[in-house]
Amino acid sequence: MNQHHQSDKDIQLELQQVNAAKENPRHFNVLYEKYFKSIYVFIYRRTNNEELTADITSHVFLKALINIKKYKYKGVPFSGWLFRIAFNEVNMYFRKNKTNRIVSIEQSGILQIAQEAEMTDNTEALQSMTNALKKLDSDDIHLIELRFFEKRSFAEVGEIIGITENNAKVKIYRIIDKLKRLMKM
Amino acid sequence: MIAMKNKQKDALKFKTDNKQLSDEQIDKHKNFNKLMHEYQAATKPLYKTPLYKNKKVFLVVLLILLIIFVIIETIQTEENNTAIQNTEQKK
Repeated sequence: MNQHHQSDKDIQLELQQVNAAKENPRHFNVLYEKYFKSIYVFIYRRTNNEELTADITSHVFLKALINIKKYKYKGVPFSGWLFRIAFNEVNMYFRKNKTNRIVSIEQSGILQIAQEAEMTDNTEALQSMTNALKKLDSDDIHLIELRFFEKRSFAEVGEIIGITENNAKVKIYRIIDKLKRLMKM
Repeated sequence: MIAMKNKQKDALKFKTDNKQLSDEQIDKHKNFNKLMHEYQAATKPLYKTPLYKNKKVFLVVLLILLIIFVIIETIQTEENNTAIQNTEQKK
């Protein structure tokens, strides 16, 4: 179980909170309080700018509140839906403004990738892995960030990107293979 | 999903010295009342918004009025011309 995991009881409680917010937007306050920090941190990791993060976070919650009536539970928890909005908003911002998106590399994440790739975890190998990461395209980087730097489950990665859990798993293992090949080059 | 479908070439900048934000730094940007205000502004029905506050509607109305003015002016000029021609013919 990871830090983002929700039990069935949590999901049911959250559904009640979502339904209350659908009835009266003021009740969205509970969900806003609950997810503000995690959405802010999610965006900050990709912008490294507090004011810009505040702006995008505000857009995310506004979009969520405007569209909350469209949210129906189909296996994707509300948090997954919210993170998907945040993910799309961040991508839209960088595409529109043609500025560099930040990728916050976590050493623990690099170590985990090295373990998954069945590599030795000496400093040289880890540096080589970091260099190989920089050669990946942005779609691959998204998956690496969500899975290894933010420690999300395959199901959550799928929810955020908009693909199935299995598809997320397959894509991530293909990226690890790609990283291995890039390291040998 | 949009991001995954479009094989984009986003410019990326890799950072390893990640600064952790404190709860105070994050909470200072939290403002539910502002969100509610933005929500009300975004969902307010068009007929409840004063015309001068909605630039798009204001411009459309202005354009329609301008077109009507031009049409009326054209018709009046044509009528005047016909009247002048009729008077000249009678003379």
